[in-house]
Amino acid sequence: MNSSWDNMTYKETYNNLEQVENEIKFLAKSEIRLQILNSLIDSPKSIKEIVNKTKLTYSSVSSNINKLAKKDHIYKVKSKYHISHISNVYFKNLLDFNKLIKIIKNYEKFWNKHQINNFSSESLQSITVLNNAELIESTPIDIYRPHNYMKNLIKDSNEIKAIFPYLHPDYPQMLEYLLEKNAKIEIIIPKSIESPLLENINRKLIKKGIKNKNLKIKTIKEDLNLSLMISNNKMSLGLFKSDKTYDQNRLLISNDKKAIKWALDLFNNFNNNTTTNKKEIL
Amino acid sequence: MNDNNKKEFKEIKYLLTSTMRTKLIITLNEKEKNLEILRNELNKPSATILHGLKELENLNLVKKSNKYYYLSSNGYMLAINMIKLIENWYSIDKNVDFWKNHSIDDLPEKSLKNLYLLKNSECIIADTNDLSKPLKIYFKLLERSDNLKIILPIFSEIHLNKIFNLLDKENLEKIQILTSENIFKSIKKSELFEKIEKNKKIKFTTIKKDLNLFITCSNDFITITLFLKDGYYDDSQMILDKTEEGIKWGLEIFREYEKKCEK
Repeated sequence: MNSSWDNMTYKETYNNLEQVENEIKFLAKSEIRLQILNSLIDSPKSIKEIVNKTKLTYSSVSSNINKLAKKDHIYKVKSKYHISHISNVYFKNLLDFNKLIKIIKNYEKFWNKHQINNFSSESLQSITVLNNAELIESTPIDIYRPHNYMKNLIKDSNEIKAIFPYLHPDYPQMLEYLLEKNAKIEIIIPKSIESPLLENINRKLIKKGIKNKNLKIKTIKEDLNLSLMISNNKMSLGLFKSDKTYDQNRLLISNDKKAIKWALDLFNNFNNNTTTNKKEIL
Repeated sequence: MNDNNKKEFKEIKYLLTSTMRTKLIITLNEKEKNLEILRNELNKPSATILHGLKELENLNLVKKSNKYYYLSSNGYMLAINMIKLIENWYSIDKNVDFWKNHSIDDLPEKSLKNLYLLKNSECIIADTNDLSKPLKIYFKLLERSDNLKIILPIFSEIHLNKIFNLLDKENLEKIQILTSENIFKSIKKSELFEKIEKNKKIKFTTIKKDLNLFITCSNDFITITLFLKDGYYDDSQMILDKTEEGIKWGLEIFREYEKKCEK
C-alpha cells in the first residue's frame, strides 16, 4: 500500500501546481467554458447546437468559444466545433474530480466523521465508481435496516468475499447457512475474533468447507476499520466512526459492475496482508 | 441556463480557483499543522491563511484541534483526488507536444486518467544529427532486459530482428508480444519467424482489431511510441520512463489488452 505517492511532499506538488495552475483555473473558473466542453464531449457541435444543449445565451457561448479556441481546447471544422483530443483528457480529469466532489457531498453523512485511513490511495482515487451507490440508513421503525440488508445480500449468493471487522452475533449462523449450501466463502477478520467466531460454527461444517476449499478464513493482526461484502452481483461497504465504533446505521451498497470490481480490488489489497492458519482452525 | 446545468460545476469552481485553499488542502494532506508552520510554508500573512482555513472548515474539509489543523475524512478524500488531478495535468504538460501530436485513441480511458504515473518520464526526440535516436535508445534498452511485454502495432523487420535476437541471450526469461491478426500474418510470412517459431520463450497473442500504440514494458523501463494523427507510425518521438510507477502504467495497459484478446 506504500507507493511513492504516499511519500510525496507538499513541496513537489506545489511546484507542479505552479506549472499547471493557470491552465486549470482558466477552465475551472468559468462554468460556461466547462459547460461548452461538456456539450462537445460526445460529438462536435455548431454554436447553435451548443446553445440548445447548454441553455446558455448565444453571446456568452460565442465569446467563450473564441477563448477556448485561442487556447487550442477546441477547433472548428466546417461550422462545427470539436474538442481537441488532449483537452478531452484534461476535461475528463476535471469531470472525474467533479464526480468525486459529488460523491463526497451526496454521501456526506456516510464519509464525514468516519475513518477512511484503511483505504489505499488507489481505492480513494477511483472511488467515483460508487457514484450510483445507494445509502442504506436505519430508521426509527427499522433500526437494523443496514445489517439486515447485508444479511440478505449474503443469503442470496453462492460466492462471497467479506471483511468482517467485528463479530456480530449473527455471523456464525450466517456462515453456517452458507456452508450448508456449499457456497464459496472467503473472509478476512482480525486475529482477535478468529476463535470466538469459529467456536460458534458447527465444527464439521468448517472442516468440510476447508477440505473442499469452499471456506477460506484469513486473519490480519491489526484492527480493521471497514466492513466489506462482495457477492456475485452486489457490494456493500460500512465504516467506523471517528470515535472508533462501527456505524451500524449506515451502509453503502451498489450493484454496479465497476463498484463491485472496486470492492474486489480493495479486498485483494487487504488479502495481501493476511495469514491463513489451516492447522489451527482444524 | 437551467438550474441543473448551472449547478453542475459550481463546486469545482469554488475548489479549484483559489491557490490558498488548494495549497492548504495539499499541505494538510501531509500531516496536521499549526498556523506557524503554515505561515512558514505558504509565506502569506496569518489573516489570509486563517481566512482560507475558515472557508475549508465551513465546508467540513478541515478541522481544528489544539491549535492544529487537519483534514477531515472528506478533506482527505478530496486531497488525494485533487493531487491526482494536478499530477495528471502536470504529467501531460510535461510532454505536451508528444500527446498533442499523436493519436491516443487506443489508450484505455483509465490509463488516460492515470497519466500521473508517467510524471517522471522523458520524451526522446530525433534530432537533425541523429534521426534514429529514439530507436537506438530503444534497442539499447532491449539488450539489457530479460523479460518483455510488447504491444506491437507494426510489422518492421528491423524491430523483429532485434527482438528475436534477444532469444539467444541466456538470461532472457520471456517475451510476450501482443499484436493484431493482420500484423501477425505478416510476421508469420517473414523468414525471421522460422528461426523462433518453436522457441518457448516467446509467446504471441493476437487481437482482431488493428492497433495504434507501441508499448514495451520490461522490469526496468517502459517505452511508448504512437501514430501521428494522420495515421502514420512515428518513431521520431518516444516516451521513456524508468520508474516503478511508469512501468505499472504500462503493465496495466498490457493487461487490459490481454483481456480483450480473451474475449
